[in-house]
Amino acid sequence: MKTRNDCREWRESLGAYALGQLQADERAGLEAHLDGCARCRAELALLEPVAGMLPHADPARIEAPAPQPPPELGARIVATIEGERQQGETRRRRRLFGGLALGAATAAAVTAALLLFVFGGGDSSPRQEVEFAGLPAGITIDATLEPHSYGTEIHMYVHGVPSGTLCRVWLRGKNGASYPAGTFRYRWGDDSDAVLSSALDLSRTRAVVVDTGKRTFVAPVDSPVAALNANQEEAT
Amino acid sequence: MRTSARGALSRERDVREAYAAHSGELYGFAVRSLGDSGLAEEAVQETFVRAWRAGDRFDPRIGSLRTWLFAILRNVVIDLGRARSVRPGVAEGGVEPSVEPLEQALLSWQVEEAMRRLGEDHRRVLVETYYRGRPYAEVAEELGVPEGTIKSRVYYGLRALRVVLEEMGYED
Repeated sequence: MKTRNDCREWRESLGAYALGQLQADERAGLEAHLDGCARCRAELALLEPVAGMLPHADPARIEAPAPQPPPELGARIVATIEGERQQGETRRRRRLFGGLALGAATAAAVTAALLLFVFGGGDSSPRQEVEFAGLPAGITIDATLEPHSYGTEIHMYVHGVPSGTLCRVWLRGKNGASYPAGTFRYRWGDDSDAVLSSALDLSRTRAVVVDTGKRTFVAPVDSPVAALNANQEEAT
Repeated sequence: MRTSARGALSRERDVREAYAAHSGELYGFAVRSLGDSGLAEEAVQETFVRAWRAGDRFDPRIGSLRTWLFAILRNVVIDLGRARSVRPGVAEGGVEPSVEPLEQALLSWQVEEAMRRLGEDHRRVLVETYYRGRPYAEVAEELGVPEGTIKSRVYYGLRALRVVLEEMGYED
């Protein structure tokens, strides 16, 4: 009867076997063992694909140190993204508050076309942007709503309230009932969207409500038909 | 609040973290496949910018951030290769580089990178016995260990290599 230890010696020959490095007599002995040992056969099956990959490597490159990106590349990438993000924000502001100026519309169309080109397919879901009017100076809030089978996805953008402010968000339905969408915390310097969701269907949503603790802001939601038209306008 | 929906790279902080975690590997593969450090920098930059723009599309349920970044880099490398081939004097005859050499470069880079991550003892015996084809006895003498140790290091080295390759996304 075989013990674990018997196997161990054979097993440690499996690497050499997989690489074709065993002498003929050792190879014959190991093959006889393999015939009767399922564990060693399973072990060999793990090693063989790895052994099969070795010829693809260039030994000179293995021994050379891995090339490292220049130290300033990371900062350059962040700066590029930051620049692009600011341009995007400017376009968004213009669309929201300044109507569709020709320049912005053209830039948006070019961007959309580029994104379509790069990523092969656009997002066709009828998103809806809502506007918070009458905000205090220095505060910006806007939201984009997206319909889903489970309800509505809300992308909230807030800027200018004190850092650390806890913001609560609701959707208000036709009959005035509130559907919670969750909370998020606004931080200075973090201008990214907060993504929340609510069970209320977008078609039944009449308003988006944001409570910053001190004040509550409400933005009306247009009827879906109007939103669809606005979307088509933007796409052309 | 859902954090996954807006992707892994929608904030500057996420980009910094992803860069810290993956830029070395991405750059290594870019250099390996493009053969030029300047183009490789361009490729890595373009990869992170595209990833940031498409942050919405990243779905951690489908694959890791690393896998996603590599998929983007692969496309960037193809695009850069095409751009290079239409520059005059670089590729005569306008032959578009096929996908095959790139897959080959990816495989080679994976094995080389995995070998570099092995412990010194394991890497050494695999390089000496397999790539240089030196006899076990000679390597054993040089390292001052019994011949049986070389054999077991070859075995444990291959096992370790498999683990590293699996960490890098390899599947049978």
